[in-house]
Amino acid sequence: MASISLTQRRFSISPGFLAWLAFLSLCLLIGLAAAVEVFRRGLIVTNMSDSVPWGLWITVDLSAIALGAGAFTLSAVVYLFGLKRFQPIVRLAVFIGVIGYTSALLTLIMDIGRPDRFWHPWVYWNIHSVLWEITWCITIYLTIMMVEFAPVISELPFFARWPWLRRFAHAIHKLAPVLALAGLGISLLHQSSLGATFGVVKARPIWFKPSMPIMFIVSAVAVGPAVTMAAARIVEWVTGKKAVAHDLLRALARFSGLGLLVYAYIKLWDLAAVTYYGRTPATSQALYLLNQQTTYGFNFWVVEMVIGIVIPVILLLVPRFQRNPFYAVFASGLAMIGILANRWNVTVSGLTVPLSYSPGTIYQLPPSSYSPSLAEWGVAIGIAGYALLLFTLGVRFLPLFRSDGGAGAGGEHAG
Amino acid sequence: MGKKRVKVDLTRRDFLTVAATAAGSAVAAQALTTGPLSPFGDLKRRQLSLEGEVAHAPQGGYHWGMVIDLDKCIGCEYCQRACSAVNDVAPDKHWNIVVEERTTGGSKFFFSRPCLHCQHAPCVEVCPVQATFVREDGLVVMDYDRCIGCRYCEVACPFDARKFNWEERGDENTYVPTWGSPEVPRRSRGVVEKCTFCIQRIDSGQARGLIPGEDREATPACVNICPVGARLFGNLKDPQSKVSQSVAANATLRLREELGTEPSVYYIPPKEGL
Repeated sequence: MASISLTQRRFSISPGFLAWLAFLSLCLLIGLAAAVEVFRRGLIVTNMSDSVPWGLWITVDLSAIALGAGAFTLSAVVYLFGLKRFQPIVRLAVFIGVIGYTSALLTLIMDIGRPDRFWHPWVYWNIHSVLWEITWCITIYLTIMMVEFAPVISELPFFARWPWLRRFAHAIHKLAPVLALAGLGISLLHQSSLGATFGVVKARPIWFKPSMPIMFIVSAVAVGPAVTMAAARIVEWVTGKKAVAHDLLRALARFSGLGLLVYAYIKLWDLAAVTYYGRTPATSQALYLLNQQTTYGFNFWVVEMVIGIVIPVILLLVPRFQRNPFYAVFASGLAMIGILANRWNVTVSGLTVPLSYSPGTIYQLPPSSYSPSLAEWGVAIGIAGYALLLFTLGVRFLPLFRSDGGAGAGGEHAG
Repeated sequence: MGKKRVKVDLTRRDFLTVAATAAGSAVAAQALTTGPLSPFGDLKRRQLSLEGEVAHAPQGGYHWGMVIDLDKCIGCEYCQRACSAVNDVAPDKHWNIVVEERTTGGSKFFFSRPCLHCQHAPCVEVCPVQATFVREDGLVVMDYDRCIGCRYCEVACPFDARKFNWEERGDENTYVPTWGSPEVPRRSRGVVEKCTFCIQRIDSGQARGLIPGEDREATPACVNICPVGARLFGNLKDPQSKVSQSVAANATLRLREELGTEPSVYYIPPKEGL
């Protein structure tokens, strides 16, 4: 009932909303200016170099895809594991997934040297390359999410003039279990392959380990639902209308808390196995250098572990904090920061450690350093603006919180 | 409402629809990307024909390799200069580096490094579009027309042998004409490049019946210019070639052998050992 009035009360724009839109437009403008500069002069305007060829943008890609993981997790929960009571939040999760994946693709287009050849991975296959597999999975999965989301779009009043379109979009809904299954498989593949992108590089001692893909996917599955939960809460605070039943949101918070615990468990064993018991001269040297010359240790222990895992786990699992929605949203914000810090730490630290290949004793490449340039920050701000604008418009104009009008069961739970 | 079983409402008709849609999409995807309906078909055919020209497979039994004698090298950097002139390499992105080194005993020697043309090359494995590949004659080749500039190969190379074109080059090559003249075009902005063992000389030389490593016109510029003969080039599969005989006669090593990349470049260590 509440959600129906949400879509019917159109074109009442408050000053606050207008200011928010203006702010987002400014972000987009900054991003556009930076993008023009990158396309005009080339990647020379970034601070990346031949020793650190990946930087902030790769971090943004990896994080956006990880934070969009709520889409496949919740689709699988509802349509494969049959927990229909979570259905009211699937639309929101898939919408956030679409935003995350399109943001990642936009950043990638900026990051590759020849954006005009973005289609090459689809035509020239290298089935041995994890990056090839990731490109395919992301494309296919984005398509799956679009199909999953088509019924929501078709409910816009605009499409009322073509009833057949609406019927068609809702017929797609019958495919939901199949889409969820395909989405689960493909997501499990590429979310972990993103970790494998680093894990298979034997040239870099601190990347080359089999735990990389597992840590990536576990962290994504843990944080994705928390992001969805936080989004639902924030929408409720801003619009003042109860969007999703609170017990559902609390269940999501618990799920993410437990997920983060699993992530912490694997991370600690990884630490013990790779850097303590199993340290090779190469990893010891690399970690020594990182701890001496960079903030790697601080990023890892304070930002990733304490801010990104320990505090969120406490806030999401201890009942007295868990009951307070503010703490839940705060915790998922911290967990998001943890993910960003982790992806940054993995990408940049691995490249900062210089390669050592000379048979002699003194020659070593200098340890490289990297901090993003203005153009890189500009593009990142633009991408953030794009994501938030899409989210805002979606919340404003799309029936995100209405239950499925299609054949799906579980409509009785909608607010 | 207690035990609410999930009712999956799939009739046979639904199942067939889904199966047919899935199969149809798979066929359509194949046809539209690599198949006959691909909008990129012409482009792909054109590129493949270009590749065919470059990558003519020499009939059986070639593996181009190099031997670098660290004991002979005097660190004059001529190889670096000739390479930069002939391949029109940017001043700060040498394909071929020369550095001063010390043995564990403390004596000085010079270490130089072209691309090692690994037979199990990490860069080749990770490239998402097969823009770099190991040719039948062992050369690790770049296809500049296919590279998308993702720089994964640069990240994966254990020897720092790859360089990216961060901008359109407008610099003047100061090594020309003293050290040679460019034999290949400059690479465009946004693609990765690296040492090719002067592939242009090998291919055109072989087409004229010359032997790379023996005939100067078919031999890499760095090998030709070396004033002390510290670099040898030739066919590692031919036991009579200079490189094979040198590898047989000397104790040699390859860089980071523990990674299993099987480099095609062998080093003869200094006499007193490393």
